[in-house]
Amino acid sequence: MEKSSLITVIILTYLAVTLGVGLVAGRRASRSVQGYVAGDRDFGLLVMYFITGATVFSAFAFLGGPGWAYSRGAAAFYILTYGVLGMAPWYAMGPRVAALGRRFGFVTQAQLLVGRFPSRGLSALMAILTLAAFVPYVTIQMRGAGIVIEAVTDGRIPLAAGAALAYAIVLVYVLSSGVSAVGWTNTFQGVFMLVIAWALGIYLPYRLYGGVGPMFEQILEARPELLSLPGLAGGGEPWSWGAYSTAILASAIGVTMWPHLFMKAYTARSDKIIRRTVILFPTFQLFLIPIFLIGFAGVLFPESPDQADFILPFLILRSDLPALVVGLFCAGALSASMSTGDALLHGAASVVVEDGVQPFRELSDSGQRLLIRILVVAVGGVAYLFALVEGFSLVDLLLASYGIICQYMPAMVAALYWRRATTAGVVSGLLAGSAVSVFFFLMPELKPLGMHEGILGLIVHIPVLLTVSLRGTPQEDEHVEGYLNV
Amino acid sequence: MRFHTWRRIAWAYHLTFAAAVVWPVQSLLNTPDPFVLGLPFLMAWPAGWVLGSLLVLWRLDAARTRHLRAASTGGDE
Repeated sequence: MEKSSLITVIILTYLAVTLGVGLVAGRRASRSVQGYVAGDRDFGLLVMYFITGATVFSAFAFLGGPGWAYSRGAAAFYILTYGVLGMAPWYAMGPRVAALGRRFGFVTQAQLLVGRFPSRGLSALMAILTLAAFVPYVTIQMRGAGIVIEAVTDGRIPLAAGAALAYAIVLVYVLSSGVSAVGWTNTFQGVFMLVIAWALGIYLPYRLYGGVGPMFEQILEARPELLSLPGLAGGGEPWSWGAYSTAILASAIGVTMWPHLFMKAYTARSDKIIRRTVILFPTFQLFLIPIFLIGFAGVLFPESPDQADFILPFLILRSDLPALVVGLFCAGALSASMSTGDALLHGAASVVVEDGVQPFRELSDSGQRLLIRILVVAVGGVAYLFALVEGFSLVDLLLASYGIICQYMPAMVAALYWRRATTAGVVSGLLAGSAVSVFFFLMPELKPLGMHEGILGLIVHIPVLLTVSLRGTPQEDEHVEGYLNV
Repeated sequence: MRFHTWRRIAWAYHLTFAAAVVWPVQSLLNTPDPFVLGLPFLMAWPAGWVLGSLLVLWRLDAARTRHLRAASTGGDE
């Protein structure tokens, strides 16, 4: 069989298997909203582990990671550190969140905050902020899927059509079975991604340079600026230490606050499983090492792709690898983008319905499920339109959404640990922090020391939260005990 | 070691980790040499901290399990 058709067959087989796994899993879950959103709170360690890893490692890691290592060198190392730093506190917080979920029947992040700080406005605010942070994130995944398909078919299937195809499949299984499809397909895709990443990360440097050490020695000789922190900025000029350091901090603070990850605490079968997932998390993080090796392998390659994010498919298609490996790689990258994409779409839609609509207008169980489905299609559609716009990197998009997401952390810490926090304090903190973050996102030239807008937001957010709370009337002891005493 | 000690170690470890990979500490260790398993030092450094985190969290969880078992049998850990 011709190489390109063999690759296509492998990808199609892979997509069919993914679809099958998703549909079969969906039959097992109950038809209630609890079943659809929280998977009947019954995920085991294996599924939880891969669901977390595969959702964190998306097209962003698989394509954006090598893209950054390739074009910006050491700047990419920020991605290596923040995940573990962000997940470690979850060892303590996660089981607390899970206990409150069981006690009060929460299925979303905002329900927990609004439970502690009763305010329909807070609920709506969370729904809006979440949606604003999710759209760029879904866009990343769609562009990722499109990039892989366009590269592999040599432009015969353009980015737009490729992204549409991959996402049509995601829609089918998210619409038909909710979160349990997300869980089982992520398990399957997570295993797949790990194997492919390590295999390629070791193979490519050997094939092109004769080993990992020799590759770095050659890069050091030809492009020493790539192997010096904080690496390069998007335009090729040196990046600033302020930007590098705050990118780590903002991402670490934000990582567990992503609603689709946060909500996984509600789906775990036991607290032990949440803790084990945190402990095993560094193993997923180490998988970025081969990912970066792939990107560095492209640095001294004689040809270069139009956009840095294409480097991985670009390299693999030009390195005389057998069609089987190329096909499997594409499936791996597609799986990375799809497994995060499905969790994101599902998370965004659930959050809008549960937090943005339910508090204002009571819907029946079936009404909620219907609206979640409509929103999954709508959010996917909006993100798809953004995915067609060119000229930005996948990593930049993700970093931007962290500006909003990390503003949830002070509110959540206050809800779980701080007796004196008040509704007014939390709402004004969130508003102030998000406003500052959005302002600096729009006016990047005004950022002091090039600092990440999320950190600048927090610098305003935390004092506002503390001051307004301390000046207000404390909450009733009995109410606070329900949240602090778990 | 007791669970509470391990909990303190875990906090201290991750705070040090955070400080070690940002400015100014990281800027003092901004060198490709020595190579560790083929990786330049400035890449092996954060990777090493990630690996260490795995060990610390694993010990923390083991200590927690012992602590709970001791509490349920009424004995000391």
